[in-house]
Amino acid sequence: MLNSTQLKSIQTRIKWLPFIAFFRREIHRFSKVFIQTIFIPVINSSMYLIIFGVSLGSRLDLEGFSYLEFIIPGLVMMSCLSNAFQNSASSILSLKFAGDIVDVRVSPLTIQQTLWALAFGGVCRGILVGGVVLVVGELFHFYYLDRWLIPHSIGGLFAFSVLAGLVFSKMGVVIALWAKTFDHIGAVGGLVITPLTYLGGVFFSLEMLSPFWQKASLFNPILYFINGVRWSLIGMSDVTVVVSLIVSGLALVVCHVGGVLMIKNSQYYRRW
Amino acid sequence: MDVLKVSNLVKNYGSFCAVNGVSLKVQKGEILGLLGPNGAGKTSLIHSIVTVEDFQKGSIEVCGYNLKKEIRLCKSMIGYMPQEIINHSYFNVEEVLYYHSGYYGCFNNKDYIEHLMKKFALWEHRKKRIIQLSGGMRRRLLLAKSLVHNPELLLLDEPTSGVDVSLRDDIWEFVRRLRDEGKAILFTTHYLEEAEKLCDRVAIIHKGELVRHNKTISLIQEFTLRKLGVQLKTKVNVVHKYLKLNTENYLEFHIPFSLDIGRLLEEAGLSLSQIQDIQIQEGSLEDVFKDVLDGE
Ligand SMILES: Nc1ncnc2c1ncn2[C@@H]1O[C@H](COP(=O)(O)OP(=O)(O)O)[C@@H](O)[C@H]1O
Ligand SMILES: [Mg+2]
Repeated sequence: MLNSTQLKSIQTRIKWLPFIAFFRREIHRFSKVFIQTIFIPVINSSMYLIIFGVSLGSRLDLEGFSYLEFIIPGLVMMSCLSNAFQNSASSILSLKFAGDIVDVRVSPLTIQQTLWALAFGGVCRGILVGGVVLVVGELFHFYYLDRWLIPHSIGGLFAFSVLAGLVFSKMGVVIALWAKTFDHIGAVGGLVITPLTYLGGVFFSLEMLSPFWQKASLFNPILYFINGVRWSLIGMSDVTVVVSLIVSGLALVVCHVGGVLMIKNSQYYRRW
Repeated sequence: MDVLKVSNLVKNYGSFCAVNGVSLKVQKGEILGLLGPNGAGKTSLIHSIVTVEDFQKGSIEVCGYNLKKEIRLCKSMIGYMPQEIINHSYFNVEEVLYYHSGYYGCFNNKDYIEHLMKKFALWEHRKKRIIQLSGGMRRRLLLAKSLVHNPELLLLDEPTSGVDVSLRDDIWEFVRRLRDEGKAILFTTHYLEEAEKLCDRVAIIHKGELVRHNKTISLIQEFTLRKLGVQLKTKVNVVHKYLKLNTENYLEFHIPFSLDIGRLLEEAGLSLSQIQDIQIQEGSLEDVFKDVLDGE
């Protein structure tokens, strides 16, 4: 059959390269349609900056921070996580719809490699959009407050963006595999993720809520991501950073396990 | 050397049994035609080999490695061309081939991809997206994809359905060349005449069961009758068990391959001086196929 050199060469070849190829494909996919995947999301978030940050920027004062400073981190995180989610969700949907999911399934890509490649693709898009939103936010900040926003912790910013990217792109994988129609994705996005993001403290601090809603908000995982980034950027947070990290980590485990189970299940992981 | 070895494969969809205990082998440098009417279970069998579907019983080996135990290794040695067209929403022909070979760990094979695109007349269309391609081009792309990683075993599920005659010939010619290079090839088709010319061996499945499996020529010899037409100079009265038609001065015998013609003529009491002309029509794969369908 195969001699040992041939066997070795195949085994080396299929170890990591399939993962790299799939990851590259993911990046290439969203870059091809960058108008929808980068440009429009950035415009959207900039609208929020203009509407809320600039119009209310000087009027509201939260624990010594201007409202503009307060919402920049929230908008950065919102862009990051929603784009990560959108990225893997639309990638999976198109794979199922066009049928090239079959190519992935019959190839030597492992379940873990498939999931991580999709997740890193989402991370890249999330960080890219979040990064551009941050740059736009900095410009507004400089223009209206006459100084740049100096990040409180670059490491924290990086860690929370990557974590959020991973969590939400894996969630996108789960939802898109589960979905039987395009509407299902829209429903989950519109009815679950967007409201939880808005309620997760992008636009307001927990302290502005009644005690009951403060408690209820603590069950919203997105709150921890937003506060993690807010702490990293301006040093302010409704919850302690360690708790944010722990919750984010747990969310990653949950979404990862969910993703693996969905990809393992050929009921879901197949062509429409 | 068995590149593919399927043993007692059982594939169920719920309580429906689509493949029932099929065993077959494909060797290096051999073409096996998997034939059967629509719904016979051909695609289900191929799906089990490429792991698109799970199977319930039996085993599959690729180059001696068990599919379930060495799944990645086995997958990397298989080239699969699905029956259904695959679209790609974002990428053009060139990119599709490039990423597809990447999934198998093959990078730096631009030359080979270029060669395949030229081979399958896709070169001028390499910058086109898949929706811009005609049906025939899409099929050629599927075939090119199945080859990008230079696999040992090729599984082609109806590679020529919906493809025009000249292209079909091209594809078969190419498949033949791959066989000569030492690939093992299993394919399904409904074009029995082409299958007969191309296949070294044939497996016919019907309702999930393997009903015939042998060398193409042996199947034809074993399961079909030759037609022997004898044109006589004058009418002769002949009685023989293989005589099927007896008009004015024309006789038609349907004889098994094992019977030699001289003996038949002798048995029928015909001497050479009475005969004006003789035509022999050999049985075909189509006859074998019809025999299977009639046999139930
Ligand atoms: N996913 C499926 N679920 C249930 N039944 C199926 C499925 N795929 C195929 N079948 C059934 O299995 C049988 C064999 O189908 P298939 O393997 O596609 O046949 P062929 O390729 O020989 O035409 C058919 O009766 C078909 O209806
Ligand atoms: Mg079929």
